[in-house]
Amino acid sequence: MNIDVIKLIILFPIIFLSTSLLGQLRIEVTEGINDPVRIAISPIGWNLKRPSSLYIHDVISSDLASFGEFDSISTNDMLSLPQKENEVAYRDWSLLKVDYLIIGEASKTEEARSLEVNYSILDVVRKRVIHRARVQGSEEDLESLAHNMSDRIYKEINGIPGIFSTKIAYINRERDSEGDYYLRFCDINGKNDQIVLTSKEPIMSPDWSHDGNNIAYVSFEDGTSRIYIQDLISGKRKGLKLENGINSSPTWSPKGSHLIAVLSKAGNPDIYKYDLNKDRWIQMTNHFAIDTEPDWSPKGDKFLFTSNRSGSPQIYEKNISKNTVRRKTFLGDYNARARYTSDGRSFVFVHRKDGDFHIAVQNIKTGRVRVLTNTELDESPTISPNGNLILYATKNGTKDILSGITIDGSTKFSLPTISGEVRDPSWSPLFK
Amino acid sequence: MNLYQEFLIIAGIICGLAGCASTSDEIATSTKAASVKSPEVSTSQNLSSSSSIYFNYDESDLSVNASSEIRQIARSLKANSSAKVKVEGHCDERGTREYNLALGERRANSVKDLLVLNGIKSSRIKTVSFGEEKPIASGSNEAAWSKNRRAVIKVY
Repeated sequence: MNIDVIKLIILFPIIFLSTSLLGQLRIEVTEGINDPVRIAISPIGWNLKRPSSLYIHDVISSDLASFGEFDSISTNDMLSLPQKENEVAYRDWSLLKVDYLIIGEASKTEEARSLEVNYSILDVVRKRVIHRARVQGSEEDLESLAHNMSDRIYKEINGIPGIFSTKIAYINRERDSEGDYYLRFCDINGKNDQIVLTSKEPIMSPDWSHDGNNIAYVSFEDGTSRIYIQDLISGKRKGLKLENGINSSPTWSPKGSHLIAVLSKAGNPDIYKYDLNKDRWIQMTNHFAIDTEPDWSPKGDKFLFTSNRSGSPQIYEKNISKNTVRRKTFLGDYNARARYTSDGRSFVFVHRKDGDFHIAVQNIKTGRVRVLTNTELDESPTISPNGNLILYATKNGTKDILSGITIDGSTKFSLPTISGEVRDPSWSPLFK
Repeated sequence: MNLYQEFLIIAGIICGLAGCASTSDEIATSTKAASVKSPEVSTSQNLSSSSSIYFNYDESDLSVNASSEIRQIARSLKANSSAKVKVEGHCDERGTREYNLALGERRANSVKDLLVLNGIKSSRIKTVSFGEEKPIASGSNEAAWSKNRRAVIKVY
């Protein structure tokens, strides 16, 4: 074999490796609100020697328009491209019916160690600057800096934090009936997809820790369900003490010292909490019915869980210190898989109506229920850390996909995958 | 150029491309996660028979046919005292995954309980639930669902 043939053989597979790194998910708004806020991001001035590796204004425009709340004006339509406040002619923007204009400039910091962007948000209708700020970041990671700006701009205008720096963990498989199972996560816009775990056996129920450093999940690699926690950066993982029967449904405590989960070692599934320091299980519910799917409240004082103790699955809430259990759902005969909103005032859950499974939200104080979706095989809802968006797993024909909806039900979006089946989403916290 | 120089060029190209392949985008991400592959568990046991029994939606009760099939299995197990049993519980895709794990366990336990009632020692029977995670039929219709609502009885 001559040297040229050897060269080809070596280089061939490496070229094809890189094509497997395409992002898995992308957001498509399927049903939007009638009058989104019109926003214009004027190209950010770049006062650095090296050319920029991406356009910050493109990332921000794309971020803000992701969920149909904003409509971003294209730079092609802009009549002027101001970078400084004294370059702004409000008429250029009111002609385009823009509500808010963002302008800014990037430069090196005084110590020249990092990059900073000074930007302003202008209210075009009121013809004034409503916010001025500075963000710092690295030239090597402009994407994160841009998402950071999107988060802050979103917060200034909407009053709640933006989620453009958050991530989604999910379970994926190439085909429904064959191939490896993957636990992966990616940026909320679908980019930077990374594999956390590859397995020949099913993986279920991923849950991000509140500090964003770890993921808990259920793996069947041991021949039965077992809970693992994995450090995302190091890949170091720990299997929780394996008990007889089911070991599943883990969710993290707010401070990360415990997990709450399900064990059926005593003969039927009950809720247990796990002390990570002592490696020990502590029983939290004791009932002959099926108790499962616990979710710790944001304050850590209560948890929601699914139980069929009344005859069919319903949502219950336990106050840990008072040792009281109260039933929460009374509409229909199947209510399960509750997740608290970040303010602890409501929960999102799976509700069966006329045989179809939908995502619903219930206010804890008033008990009022709103059924949000009209898709029919919905499961695993996860809420954005700003409480505004819900992602859930559903089916599109025979394919498992993720879909989303705003908590007020106004905007629907879907995340079709480029390849394979996707399910069991878990939204990351806000990264500090 | 000589062979050594060619080799260096090839090595350089491979390293360059490998460098591209190891980052998931041109821009370095702030969170670069480590990927883990779970160890494969080898099944060294010899399977001598496998049978499936089926259930109604949302239920774990045994039908008359299922009960008689289980009784037959109990009889053959009594004849072969070294044989062991593993019962897997499964569900169709409807409903939440975790609740289905519990329902699958109920189905496996129904089978185990009847085997025990028919004289088989509890220690010979292992149960595991896979919930809706390992369907045998694909499709969102009753034809597929009815095939997936099952307990699989494996004798070793």
